[in-house]
Amino acid sequence: MAGLLQKTPLMGKDSPWLSGIRKRGWDSFVKQGIPTAKTEAWKYTKPRDLAAEDFVVSKISMSEASKIDLPFDCYYIRFENGWFCPSQSNLPQGVEVVPLIEVALLKPHLQKYFCSLAQVDGNPFVALNQAYLQEGVFIKIENNINLQKPLAIINHTTTESANIFFNLRNIIVVDKDSSATIVEYHTYSGEAKSRYLANIVNEIYLASGAELNHYKVQSEAFKANHISFSVASLKKDSSYNSFCLQKGANIGRNETLVKMHEEGAKTEVNSAYLMNGWATLDTTTNIEHLAPCTSSHQLIKGVIGGEAKGVFQGKIHIAPHAIKTEGNQLHKALLLTDTAEVDVKPELEIFADDVKCSHGATSGELDAEQLFYMRSRGIGLSEARQILIDAYLDEVITKISNEKIKDWIKLFAQEKSK
Amino acid sequence: MSKIDSIDDTSGDKYKYGFVTDIDSETAPKGLNEDIIRLISAKKQEPDWLLEFRLKAFEFWQGLSEPNWAKLSYDKIDYQDLHYYSAPKQKVEPKSLDEVDPELLATYEKLGIPLKEQEVLAGVVAVDAVFDSVSVATTYRAKLAEKGVIFCSISEAIREHPELVRKYLGSVVPYTDNFYACLNSAVFTDGSFVYIPKGVKCPMELSTYFRINAKNTGQFERTLIVADEDSYVSYLEGCTAPQRDENQLHAAIVEIVVLKDAEVKYSTVQNWYPGDKDGKGGVYNFVTKRAACRGENAKVSWTQVETGSAVTWKYPSCVLQGDNSVGEFYSVAITNNHQQADTGTKMIHIGKNTSSKIISKGISAGFSNQTYRGLVKISPNADNARNYSQCDSLLIGATCGSHTVPYIENRNRTAKLEHEATTSKISDEQLFYCRQRGINEEEAVGLIVNGFCKEVMQHLPMEFAIEAAKLINISLEGSVG
Repeated sequence: MAGLLQKTPLMGKDSPWLSGIRKRGWDSFVKQGIPTAKTEAWKYTKPRDLAAEDFVVSKISMSEASKIDLPFDCYYIRFENGWFCPSQSNLPQGVEVVPLIEVALLKPHLQKYFCSLAQVDGNPFVALNQAYLQEGVFIKIENNINLQKPLAIINHTTTESANIFFNLRNIIVVDKDSSATIVEYHTYSGEAKSRYLANIVNEIYLASGAELNHYKVQSEAFKANHISFSVASLKKDSSYNSFCLQKGANIGRNETLVKMHEEGAKTEVNSAYLMNGWATLDTTTNIEHLAPCTSSHQLIKGVIGGEAKGVFQGKIHIAPHAIKTEGNQLHKALLLTDTAEVDVKPELEIFADDVKCSHGATSGELDAEQLFYMRSRGIGLSEARQILIDAYLDEVITKISNEKIKDWIKLFAQEKSK
Repeated sequence: MSKIDSIDDTSGDKYKYGFVTDIDSETAPKGLNEDIIRLISAKKQEPDWLLEFRLKAFEFWQGLSEPNWAKLSYDKIDYQDLHYYSAPKQKVEPKSLDEVDPELLATYEKLGIPLKEQEVLAGVVAVDAVFDSVSVATTYRAKLAEKGVIFCSISEAIREHPELVRKYLGSVVPYTDNFYACLNSAVFTDGSFVYIPKGVKCPMELSTYFRINAKNTGQFERTLIVADEDSYVSYLEGCTAPQRDENQLHAAIVEIVVLKDAEVKYSTVQNWYPGDKDGKGGVYNFVTKRAACRGENAKVSWTQVETGSAVTWKYPSCVLQGDNSVGEFYSVAITNNHQQADTGTKMIHIGKNTSSKIISKGISAGFSNQTYRGLVKISPNADNARNYSQCDSLLIGATCGSHTVPYIENRNRTAKLEHEATTSKISDEQLFYCRQRGINEEEAVGLIVNGFCKEVMQHLPMEFAIEAAKLINISLEGSVG
């Protein structure tokens, strides 16, 4: 653990407020440590690798930001090895994208948005992230703005011989009746065997009537660790739709917590994961229905090959008096090899009676009959498998409403499943 | 052997004061230590190997701590403040039904228990006095002996059939298994033993209710059932009548060994004192039940109807070792007032072509909380394993809670697993339909709940099922309107 606890010069040491936040994070991480098999929330995902001593804090990148462009029109927000790279994007009126540290030090009235949603208790990596709070962006969208172009947050890691680690935190505030789309893309170049750690936290605030589409592609190096925690707070009639494709990293965890505080809030949390090798990819969701007439839908599909392990933990919580709510969840896993493994823990926690809740989980292999059907029509085995896997994932990828982003994500999935 | 002590004839008041047990000459002092265990063993004239087993368990238990992962909250139990040995007490028995608590009698009435049986349950007469001339138990035992079936108390089995008990005791639930099982292994006082020889289909359903030896088996009951190759037995535990048990803490173990081609059906109806309307008192039921399908084509089926106890912690499990073996779990759990239940099952698939089925129906009412907690585990060698799980919960009233926590761990590509869970309330439409036809609300709820549980109830033996259906209605009394 000592590898992750390093005294490093951080900006804003003079701000007692910021120092206090960082200290709380540090102390909490020291107290909790790296999760073990006995930590219920990490029962199936064991980030043992992170106990190594050889992690070093990533240094500020002096080189130019690598120009990774996405095949659709968007506003770019770029990070290199977890460091913010200023870039030129003409944002429309009412949309602000500011480096987090600048907001922390210069705009005290926005301090209330910091670390109030992502709690350190029970979340050691949120605590770690908070201990190093500095890098990230603060995105604010004023009232009544319908942002057409997506905002793309690209984090590019240039792997080196040293195992670097970095912490990123984005705070996203969407005000009344506004809507926006965010695309989060984590990728790398260089040495594929680097064991770096990307520790991401997103805090999302949706005011009443706001809508946010949050799409994410995790395509880290295959020995990397990617741990991400997103929390969204939803006010009246707001909606949060997220989709995450995980296809890289050795230990990858995408955790989503949605808190629906007021009536009419709704959320969709969908996910797909594809893996082989020795990876463990973990999808953890926690949907809290805290007010009446809220709804949530989740679909998670995974394809597991090699000696990999897929993990899904999903919880739907319905608070007392949160009646007329609807919550459903479905996880499906496809096992491709004899050594693949899937561990699933869906959970319903219901304290109100007038609700409709369900969860389902299935696990199986490729259908022999379907394969036979295609082979009997002259399609080779590997191609037939490919078609079936693509079709399998299509069910969840289709849920992305933006056509261009959907096509882009589909390409990733197809490339990986080859 | 003519008195039943497990039924308390006073009202629930006794439970107010926690673990109060009347001390008489045959009761060991409070507390748990090696001497107490030696005393229990000596009193029961046990062989050395069993004493050793108990002592090893006790040593291990001292290093364990009480599990706290279940969604249960209750006052901490002081294990040194309990009596671990208490011989059947000579209590003042009611002379006739007139002296019995009228509330208890009213419940018997609703369940439709015959008058003669009511007398037994209330402790007025002994079981063998029920049927005039020949003791029913004796008749049964003769008939069973003819087939070679052994059905006796575990103490008796330790004396009479030590080789069988020694071979199987602790082989399914080792003393190292969990806190309560370990405690039970150290201090168990009595329980039942069943052995069905090769190729024998047990001619009748075995029931603890009609077995005289089952009296006052107490809080640390231990049951061992061995079904030899190609045999069959159906075993019933408990009864639908409310039981005013004097022990507040129950930590029982049920072990079942099923060999090649054999089948065991284990049905439970548990209706212990659930505490009063404010959640005071009631039985704490911490049970470890597990069956091992050791041979090919072995089959085991658990059916349970849980309506009693203040706190239930119970996960009847199946270890499917033999190829083609089958495990089934059917459960109805009803909690009302301040009851809490954390129950479910574990299906461990080890052999090839093993299949398991889980049907769990939970009904929560009042201020109660209920959790289904289950595990389906497919090991790498369990080719073509199959599991189907369905967990449905019904909520009655806005103050209760219902939770579902299944764990599914699959390490075999060819396994097919399906899990489904739903939670809802009784639909207004169904209720309206019944009300429209002149059925009052309470009866309508009973009707709908019984329909909801039908899939499980049909797996209960016939006479049990009818009583259990009535029991469901009684358990939900006062939860509507």
